[in-house]
Amino acid sequence: MCGISGRVRYDSGTVGSDIVELAACMRHRGPDSTGFAVYGPRRERGYVVRGFLAHRPALDAALESAKGALEVHGSRLLGEPTWDESGQPHVLFRMEIDELDDVAGWVNDVESLEGVELLSLGRSLEIVKDVGDARDVDAKHGVSRMRGTHALSNMRLATESLVSPVASHPFWARPFPDVCIVHNGQLTNYYTWRRRLERAGYRFGSDNDSELIAVWNSVQMADGLSLEESLVRSQQELDGVFTYLLGTADGIGMAKDRWAIKALAVVDQPDGIAIATEEQALRTLYVDEVDVINYDGPLLTEVWQASAKGEAA
Amino acid sequence: MTGPVAQALDVVTVKAGDRPIREVNAEIRAAVSAGQRVEVLSPLSRHNLAVGLTGTGEVIFKGSVGYYCGGLSDGGSIVVEGNSGWGTGEGLASGTITVQGNAGMSVGAAMRGGNIHVRGNAGPRCGVAQKAGAIVVEGNVGYSTGFMGHGGRVICLGDAIGSVGDSLWEGTVWVAGEIHTLGIDAKVVTPAADEVAEVEALLAGLGVDGSGRDWKQVVSGQKLWYFEARDAKKWLMI
Repeated sequence: MCGISGRVRYDSGTVGSDIVELAACMRHRGPDSTGFAVYGPRRERGYVVRGFLAHRPALDAALESAKGALEVHGSRLLGEPTWDESGQPHVLFRMEIDELDDVAGWVNDVESLEGVELLSLGRSLEIVKDVGDARDVDAKHGVSRMRGTHALSNMRLATESLVSPVASHPFWARPFPDVCIVHNGQLTNYYTWRRRLERAGYRFGSDNDSELIAVWNSVQMADGLSLEESLVRSQQELDGVFTYLLGTADGIGMAKDRWAIKALAVVDQPDGIAIATEEQALRTLYVDEVDVINYDGPLLTEVWQASAKGEAA
Repeated sequence: MTGPVAQALDVVTVKAGDRPIREVNAEIRAAVSAGQRVEVLSPLSRHNLAVGLTGTGEVIFKGSVGYYCGGLSDGGSIVVEGNSGWGTGEGLASGTITVQGNAGMSVGAAMRGGNIHVRGNAGPRCGVAQKAGAIVVEGNVGYSTGFMGHGGRVICLGDAIGSVGDSLWEGTVWVAGEIHTLGIDAKVVTPAADEVAEVEALLAGLGVDGSGRDWKQVVSGQKLWYFEARDAKKWLMI
């Protein structure tokens, strides 16, 4: 059944801690794995990269190879990479890098290394996802210390593919910087669209249908559609059950299928936006009585900008 | 100690907050079955509050509740001073539930008796698979209201958004406002005067003036009562 949540803070404050609270409250919806996408301060130049390596002892060699690949693509490391000290057999690492001459090319090179998968790349997007519930993942990766403008999370009850950090949400829309998704539901025309997108040259890191939605929307937007237009088109082109949140550098988009069985509740207040599958999660941030908007009709879409109303994006 | 606090002779205060729901419910249940009045503070939209009540007591939630509030109850009276989530009063056998604000999806799903009164709007599938009892919504009801209803009444004083009475069996949906679209095998009839009087009396009992309304009664077209191969397309809902 899964649970998803989103958060916008107009003060660019403790969005990490907020998103952990939203996710922790919905642990019962999917304790297999939990993932977070946090949009931190936006870089003018270069990218922040989050990655997964299946075999922790191979970390030094993998980082060295990734660094070598940067040079091939006219880039370099900005500062030393960091990684988690959880002691799990797999490891999540983070690096900040300079401009790349070919983002997709570097991503392909790095992911051709054994056991390596990039979880996110962007001017501001950082994805952290691991097995365990929200508190476990926060303890391993310090998500609640992250600050930024907006964030997404997913609590996953695996039904369609394996339990592993790389099969968890949020999914980055490889190779599009700063775009990612959390999704509640499942697609029934997944393979049709995956084959089409693969023929167009896109590569998928998982067999999870949600990943496709992120790439699909990014392709529409690269073809000139606005986020709103892309969300609306997805309701016609993607078949199945879905309520999804699409994260972009500028904010969060939402689309819901025509059967609208996947709930979504939203609080829209002067300090920001809180979004969650269940209203009780919103109430962890808004303890006093507050207006809650239920998006429970068919074919709804919405876009929440990460900048405060009236301000330029 | 976080146990119930006796305020007056028959009033009990229970704080929900982040306490285990089983513990909160045990206190509510004990008080209601003893005929007491219970005030629940900080319900914080939590799920499954006041399920399985028996007796004649009353529960007042001082705020919004989550999913399935009052579900499976056979007695008691619940007032929600806020909104309620999915499945409010699901499987209710008897008793009353009043929601001062709006209610989420599937209000009174599969209920077998009692009354549910929503002062605001109700979400989609209001009264899905309802067997008996009444659901009164003063605002609008969402799409597929009365879906597969087997009996009882949904009474809506506002508008019914769409696909009203889809696959109704023997339940009825009463709409005073506009019906946007009807569901599969649903039809609108003008209710008989004695039935209107019955509905008005039921509304009056809840303090709602139902007189002088343009009642449309949605009932089963009875085409789905028996399967016929030539109607197969009607059975295929997608």
